[in-house]
Amino acid sequence: MLARLWVWLVSALVPRRDREEWVEEWLAELSATGAGMKHAWGAVPDAWTLRTDGWTMDGMLRDVRAALRGLARRPFFTALAGITLAIGIGANTAIYSVVDAVLLNPLPYPESDRIVSANHTAPGLNLPIVPHSEAMYMSYLDGFHTLESFAVFDEDNINLVTDGDPQRIDAARVTQEFFDVMDVHPMLGRAFTEGEDRPGSEPVAILGYGLWQQSFGGDPGVVGRVVEMDGVQRRVVGVMPKGFAFPGDEVELWTPMVIDASNPDLGSLSYLGVGRLAPGQTIAAAQAEMQQLLYRFADANPDELPRSVLEQAGLAPDVKPLKELYVSDLKQALWVLLGTVGFVLLIACANVANLFLVRAEARQREQALRSALGASRADLVRQYLAESVTLSLGGGLLGLGLAALGVRGLVAMAPVAVPRLSEIGIDGSVLAFTAVISVAAGLLFGLFPVFGYARKDLSGALKEGGRATTSGRERHRARSALVVAQVALALVLLVGSGLMARSFAALRHVDPGFAADDRLTFRLTLPEAEYPDAAGPRVFYRQLADRMGAIPGVREVALTTAVPLEKDYKNASPMEAEDKPTPEGDLAQLVNVRNVSPGYFDAMGIQLEEGRDLTWDDAGDGVRSVVVNETLARTFWPGESALGRRVRGQGSERPSWEIVGVARDVHFERLDRDPEPLIYMPLVTGGADGPRGVRAFAVVLHVGAEPLDFVPAAREALREVGPRLPMVDPRTVVKVQHDAMASTSFTVLLLGIAAVIALVLGTVGIYGVISYVVSRRTQEIGVRMALGAPAGLVLREVVGQGMVLAGIGVAIGLVGAWGVSRVLASLLYGVSTTDPLTYAGMALALTLVAMLASWIPARRAASVDPTEALRAE
Amino acid sequence: MGSVRMTQVTALVLRAVAAGHRYGFDVMEACALPSGTVYPALRRLERAGLLRSGWERAAEAHAEGRPRRRTYALTTPGRQALPEAETKLAEVRRLLADLPSTSAREA
Repeated sequence: MLARLWVWLVSALVPRRDREEWVEEWLAELSATGAGMKHAWGAVPDAWTLRTDGWTMDGMLRDVRAALRGLARRPFFTALAGITLAIGIGANTAIYSVVDAVLLNPLPYPESDRIVSANHTAPGLNLPIVPHSEAMYMSYLDGFHTLESFAVFDEDNINLVTDGDPQRIDAARVTQEFFDVMDVHPMLGRAFTEGEDRPGSEPVAILGYGLWQQSFGGDPGVVGRVVEMDGVQRRVVGVMPKGFAFPGDEVELWTPMVIDASNPDLGSLSYLGVGRLAPGQTIAAAQAEMQQLLYRFADANPDELPRSVLEQAGLAPDVKPLKELYVSDLKQALWVLLGTVGFVLLIACANVANLFLVRAEARQREQALRSALGASRADLVRQYLAESVTLSLGGGLLGLGLAALGVRGLVAMAPVAVPRLSEIGIDGSVLAFTAVISVAAGLLFGLFPVFGYARKDLSGALKEGGRATTSGRERHRARSALVVAQVALALVLLVGSGLMARSFAALRHVDPGFAADDRLTFRLTLPEAEYPDAAGPRVFYRQLADRMGAIPGVREVALTTAVPLEKDYKNASPMEAEDKPTPEGDLAQLVNVRNVSPGYFDAMGIQLEEGRDLTWDDAGDGVRSVVVNETLARTFWPGESALGRRVRGQGSERPSWEIVGVARDVHFERLDRDPEPLIYMPLVTGGADGPRGVRAFAVVLHVGAEPLDFVPAAREALREVGPRLPMVDPRTVVKVQHDAMASTSFTVLLLGIAAVIALVLGTVGIYGVISYVVSRRTQEIGVRMALGAPAGLVLREVVGQGMVLAGIGVAIGLVGAWGVSRVLASLLYGVSTTDPLTYAGMALALTLVAMLASWIPARRAASVDPTEALRAE
Repeated sequence: MGSVRMTQVTALVLRAVAAGHRYGFDVMEACALPSGTVYPALRRLERAGLLRSGWERAAEAHAEGRPRRRTYALTTPGRQALPEAETKLAEVRRLLADLPSTSAREA
């Protein structure tokens, strides 16, 4: 008796469709065997097994198989939805793979989270990074306890002479503990030993793996060989393992930084520092210790670094994870891009959700039947989700393929300075990301129709048509909501990319102050060993300029330490007017410095407002002439002429220079900011140890026609005057200008692509909804037209419906765009975040497109034959 | 129609049905397993297509004064799965042979 009661109780767990038979089975067994409660317990696990039938692995596999069959039956639907998803997911995967490699992944060194960059910052001077001088390095080296190893490095180019043509190699000079900091050691040979960083020791070098393979044939006997580099015979002592490249992907050679420990250089702050935290130490501790070391150094060198200057400049240590040194520029752009493609994915999901809604309606009868046959609500939901997730995983797979291709293209097009480029690829976390967003997308658009649908009483659907039912209206509302969302998102993207495009256009219209057309430029580096002191270079500059000028078609030649807008070139010094010295303890004005040859201003098309150009004699002894830009003249002598005045480095003991000319301002660093003070010095200047000539400089040739055509002639000329000098990076000055805008143009391009995709998807969405509505109302339209309603009226009404949806979407989108544009604010130039032209223009464009998307199905409706329509079901 | 993971329980149950035990509680007794173990196995085997369930003839049951009982029988795939079940049971026999009994351990 108890047992029977128990069975009846437990039967509540059994799915409704099986319940009656289940009870019958158990009661029959109990009767027949006379068994009691002892055996009736088993009813619970049995009921549970039946209840969870769908949710087992087997059950879900069954659902997936059914889903695949269902999708295969509607290939057009599947293809459309699949491709839409592939685009949305693929775009996200592509950007994420970049974010992952560049921002999220740890650096490829052992325990890389303990490697820090240890430099200074000087917010008072607007300098985010201030490197070390030799003296600082030596002072800190002994003092650091929180760092178990500390090193500084300097990037360099070296002319390597092997059997072939001279090559220019990117190299780095590093101090003693460098390889300990990175904790990567040469796989052949050894690292630098104690003493190799002292003046007078034998010059040595360590090769990178790639260089070893390419230029030395991977010969293990290379260790011990002597190779000429920059005119110096260096012995190769080691080869680094494959994949090691620090500080940048292009560095292929390391040499020891030679420092005279008895007289380290105080003035030149040029070397970036890295360190490895000692066990148990934190970044905060290292930073605190470095602060003490900085004070100690300042106190020991009051002339070079008085405390007052320290405070005025806000000079302070800046210790942070090494990774951050690489990525600060790109961070914001990357997150903006990720947000953008996130939007595109949402729009894609909205489209697919719409497709699913349509499909759901078509399968109404089938679903109602299933439900009547005992499928519970949960079963139906599960089956829907199986289909949507299967579809989106399929789309995700395709998207992964698209991303793999796209990333290659992205990386090729990217503005030059994408750090860690070689690490970008499809790895485990990218795959995981793709899987997660695929499933999430699938759930998102899969649940959408379910909620509007599986809930309702389906018996009505079994009857004829079931068109004007409540559920039909609800579905229509859902579809409309989706379209409105799509339009809003698309407008946000359009406005965002429109603002960026206008920024870009504004940048392109900035007058840089110089003439860039018809000018060829390339760089040269004079090795110290071959062109010692100042005499060598001085002769060489003249010879080079003359020989280049002799090339037929070359109008003017100039040499300069950097072409205007050359990327990543910064050279500034504190300088003062001789007749207005800076007060004691203050820091003088930072002035940018360029060394140029005579004829530079003509060659670059830069107007001289006052005075004259430099001459070759101006670089002689005793004569010290410079040209300055307008901003410098204005800063030092507001309202007066700067001609004849003198400038010098900070401090009365510094040699002074006479200003012989004032040049028109040029955008030499950034197009989107006003130029800072700039001084043009001769190529040979006087240092504390005598005259010095610049060793790394650019040559500019103003030619009469296509600049790149002159490269071979220039190479020939170079070979005559400097046979062992490689010509580096020949390109047009126009290209230099474009590269300066590269990261803006890149962002604009990507945003533009995203916006176009959004526009297309949004259009398809509107078209789909209106089309569908029209098809459902064919009968009604037919009746009306048969009764005499003019086609024009029907047309207007249908288009009107579409326009209402678009209108609401645009309104929401405008608000959204305004919110989002604040994120873009720092990337914009010359256009405000609420630029009415962009907002109005995009809104109008989208509205017109929506009108078109509504008009086409409307026309179809209006041209329908009334009698046909009446017959249609 | 998936296949079922052949466990000791499913092997025993399959064997029992093959041996002619048609009714659920019969199989339970034959295998000396509780109903809570046997019935889920029966359901899994049926879902996998190795068993077929039905009802005995109502007339016969009523004649004996009881309600009709559910019957289980092997399908063709079920018969094909019997060797696999035998292999599984053979494993069990081997294990039992290898496992020392308590008295042997204490000795």
